[in-house]
Amino acid sequence: MITMKGPQAGRMRALSQLSWWLIRAQFKTRRAATLLSMLAIALGVALGYAIHLINDAALSDFSRAMKSVQGDPDAVIAARDSAGSVPLATLNAIARDPAVLLVAAVIETRVRIDNAPTPVRLIGIDVFSAAAVMPDLLPRQDEQAAAPNILDGGVYASPALLAQLAQGAKGSQGKEGKDSGTRAGGTLKLLRGEQQWLATLAGDLPAARPDDLLLVADIAWVQARFGPADAVSEGRVRLAPDTDLASWRQAWAQRLPAGLLIRAADDDSARVSNLSRAYRVNLNVLALVALLTGTFLVFATQLTAVAQRSTQFALLGVLGLSPRMRLMQVLLEGVAIGVPGALLGLALGYALAVAFTQLLGGDLGGGYFAGSAPLIVPAPAPALLFLAFGCLASLAGASYPAYLNRMQPLAQALKTGFAQRPPADAAPTAQPRQSGQSGRSGQSWLARLPPRMPKLPLLLALAAFALTQLPPLFELPLAGYASIALVLVVGIASAPLLTQLLFGWLSAQPLPAPQRIALQNVAQAPLMAQVAASGLIVSFALTASMVIMVSSFRVAVDQWLDHVLPAPLYLRSKATPLPQDLLNALTQPDAPFAKVERMANAALTIDPQRPQVALLIREIEPRDPAARLPLTGPLLTPPAALPAVWISEPMAEIYRLAPAQTLRLPLLGREVPVFIGGVWRDYGRQFGAVVISRQDYQQLGGDFQPTDLALWPLPGQEAQASAWLAPWADRYGLEVADSATIRRLSLSIFDKSFAVTYALEAAAMLIGLFGLAVTLAASVWLRARELATLGALGFDRCMLSHAVMLEGALIAAVGLLIGLACGVAIGAILTHVVNPQAFHWRMALAIPWTAVCAGAAITLAAAVLASRYAARQATRLPVAQVLANAQ
Amino acid sequence: MLRVSDLAKQYRRASRPLFSALSFAVASGEIVALVGESGVGKSTLLNCIAGLETADRGAIAIGPQALDIVALDETARAALRARSIGFVFQAFHVLPTLTVAQNIGVPLLLCGVPASEHTPRTQALLERVGLADFGPRWPASLSGGELQRVAIARALVHRPALVLADEPTGNLDPRTADEVLALLLERVREQQTSALVVTHSQHVAQSCDRILTLTPDGLSGCGRAGE
Ligand SMILES: Nc1ncnc2c1ncn2[C@@H]1O[C@H](COP(=O)(O)OP(=O)(O)OP(=O)(O)O)[C@@H](O)[C@H]1O
Ligand SMILES: [Mg+2]
Repeated sequence: MITMKGPQAGRMRALSQLSWWLIRAQFKTRRAATLLSMLAIALGVALGYAIHLINDAALSDFSRAMKSVQGDPDAVIAARDSAGSVPLATLNAIARDPAVLLVAAVIETRVRIDNAPTPVRLIGIDVFSAAAVMPDLLPRQDEQAAAPNILDGGVYASPALLAQLAQGAKGSQGKEGKDSGTRAGGTLKLLRGEQQWLATLAGDLPAARPDDLLLVADIAWVQARFGPADAVSEGRVRLAPDTDLASWRQAWAQRLPAGLLIRAADDDSARVSNLSRAYRVNLNVLALVALLTGTFLVFATQLTAVAQRSTQFALLGVLGLSPRMRLMQVLLEGVAIGVPGALLGLALGYALAVAFTQLLGGDLGGGYFAGSAPLIVPAPAPALLFLAFGCLASLAGASYPAYLNRMQPLAQALKTGFAQRPPADAAPTAQPRQSGQSGRSGQSWLARLPPRMPKLPLLLALAAFALTQLPPLFELPLAGYASIALVLVVGIASAPLLTQLLFGWLSAQPLPAPQRIALQNVAQAPLMAQVAASGLIVSFALTASMVIMVSSFRVAVDQWLDHVLPAPLYLRSKATPLPQDLLNALTQPDAPFAKVERMANAALTIDPQRPQVALLIREIEPRDPAARLPLTGPLLTPPAALPAVWISEPMAEIYRLAPAQTLRLPLLGREVPVFIGGVWRDYGRQFGAVVISRQDYQQLGGDFQPTDLALWPLPGQEAQASAWLAPWADRYGLEVADSATIRRLSLSIFDKSFAVTYALEAAAMLIGLFGLAVTLAASVWLRARELATLGALGFDRCMLSHAVMLEGALIAAVGLLIGLACGVAIGAILTHVVNPQAFHWRMALAIPWTAVCAGAAITLAAAVLASRYAARQATRLPVAQVLANAQ
Repeated sequence: MLRVSDLAKQYRRASRPLFSALSFAVASGEIVALVGESGVGKSTLLNCIAGLETADRGAIAIGPQALDIVALDETARAALRARSIGFVFQAFHVLPTLTVAQNIGVPLLLCGVPASEHTPRTQALLERVGLADFGPRWPASLSGGELQRVAIARALVHRPALVLADEPTGNLDPRTADEVLALLLERVREQQTSALVVTHSQHVAQSCDRILTLTPDGLSGCGRAGE
């Protein structure tokens, strides 16, 4: 702050006193409008801030969870193929490198304990090296129990697992009466496939995170039972001090076999952030939309506030309030709305974040981060940033009204009130003589529109279209968002044109007096009509576009489900292979099934900075994959030597692949050249999937261990089929579902994940309607004298109120018509540009005309109701007082 | 206190200029009546003097420092108005959201009078215009005559060099008009402020020091009142 001399400081104090008087008066006289603007700003800030908080918490929680199990190594040596492993020979070579301090080997697999439904991670470690790299996994021996230590085959459970076991024991005690293994010394039955082993619980993992289900044992113990022989799952490397990670990594990357990769900490954080990036950005755009509607409300409120007080401001100007202060005053009023609104928004955002994480978890139901509710920790810097966003939004809304207020011609404003646009000769000192537009003539504003008006919207529309053709920027559909913004601008800019057409037509009709007045009123308050219509255009366009996008998506998912769920029954084991005896039993003649298709899953790391790609090994007819996969393009036959794969749409887009290309797939510890035979639609795996046929996989040397089954019961034996499966499912903790249930579940998850947007749409529509009511009321107020004169001339209240309601209906009709057009355009952009670029989901546009038109009709009815509010104001004006000119 | 020289003004799209070479002066402490037919440009002249309209040519020197308001930018004009000009309108313009006392205090705020002086000065003027108890009241509850007294108090509270009044009694009944005008002139004389008063009333004009008549051809009859 500059230090001010005495008199100047006194003057500042005096001016702020005046400014405070005006702000207080403004808030007092327009309480509802001010409060609602504040709330709208608060809503935008709250949403943005909540999304930030939740995501921040979820990401750090996710990273912490990963760190807790993986420890904090400088680098990790792992197989690219989740079915693969790191040969001990390679690990030993790395350990002999003088730049390497130590390598902690790890074997990880999934097992079930007894017949608990969810599998548990069993991690085999070498306690001596783990102490240096993965301290959170270090076991604690229970001294009380007579259990073997880790080197003698003791296993150790995380606190969460112990709690779960205790729960299960309590449940089954009635039946079996024995306490199998809930405390140290007890015995655990571990199952994988149909194999089972007994292990002795020897203690716990004190440093494990509260929600991790983990079992730790000695690496040799795990290897002896679960394999792999002469190999491990991962080697976690600690480098010698002052080794350069990048160069070390580069040197080793060249020497490693093709099936292995080196991951460093920065890859992990990039991958975690990539995981939910598009989802996050989309939610942030929604928050931005909420903030923009806040800006619009501040704009409408401040514009009408300026209009209503034009005489007062002119008087202050005559008394010596400088133009800059007249501008500042309106901006200050904007800040006075923005600051409390944003503060409220921060509080609300925090509450929302806490509530949502409790209810839905860290990804708002998006399915990216599993686990319990992350801890919300607000930091000061982002809070300040969002506070600033709220204030900026409010300031932006107040800026044009402030400019108009600064530009009001004082003498005229005192005489005739508010001028709807700045005078053509806006330059304050020099007034060049020109024969241009009149400031305020009796002539309709429509006639004064420059004839070149349609050109601007047309050019903008072309620009919007051009933007939709651009590729994503930073893998985000930023150009798509920009084109959506442009479409809205086009809509707003073309409102005068449509009004002109509509009014041209209407004024040619024979109309009764109140209707004529309504027409005239809209024509005389172009700015107010424009503002009211803009609010509706924007809110309806956004709402309609969301409805169109969600509906297109839902139709597409529905069709897709049809295609990917051909069998009546599905069975899966979660992440552990299906028991062989079940697979054998299914081939027996007494099994009530006409056909069974088996499938196995693996995960491939193609780029360590991105989430893994799913490898689906399926019993699929190589010549006719289209029977099982919803192909989006042609099916190509591979050259004789190459196995064919079919990649999902997201995979094709993320890795820029096309059919007929040869892809080097990191499979089975080496790079296998495969032929891309086609691209299929997948809404299930956002980060990509590859399908390979079982025959090809086995020919490449893969071990086919099915985890999922698609089952076709014999005709008429559906009930028997389910009954046949039930005992198997019970015994091995398998999941059986019929396709109708899976379908219903998928669609309900879909609907749930879009629930947030419905709330936002409703809020947007309310704000649009409120904007209409506020601006109509203000324009009525501005024409108070006119309306009072009409009243004095014999118009009764009913006629006046009808006139105002018709005016509202006309404006709303224009707004809705344009909003609908913009909504369809934006819906198409969302469907064809934003969704594919952000999520790699492509789909056809399906417009739910009945829903959209019904929405428009309801909005129109609501708009007429909202204009009743304005009409009441019109008829409540004290005629005598208005006519006596005492304001 | 006010010197207008060679002033010219023409509205855009007007067929002829309102005035083309207007010159006159108002001495310190002098009260001048400005009369003329409707539409001849009296209000426009006043607005030019106050810097609310821009003159096409000429100079208007105001106040002891004789600042030329035509040559100033908008901000400087506002500052000059705040310091040196008091304005009374035909329609009694007051701020409806401020109390009577606050309304009168606005010019003090705008020209930076120390806060400690505000209450005594507004109260003194309220007493001088016969509204001693009206300070905390809201404008909506005042009559037209009372409102115009508030406007007069506001025009004088910051002791301007020049008071401009545009038909200050045009909206009042004859008896009230006489009272209010007498009050205005009395207070102006008391403060030894110069004043330019636009009026249609011969009676009002007579009570001024001098009468200026604006005609389409220019100013005439610069004689003393009553001559
Ligand atoms: N903003 C304006 N734009 C164009 N012409 C104007 C404007 N204001 C006033 N005029 C015209 O300028 C002329 C002088 O107007 P002005 O208000 O100064 O008259 P006046 O002498 O004050 O009249 P009255 O006694 O009726 O108040 C009138 O013919 C009027 O039509
Ligand atoms: Mg006049």
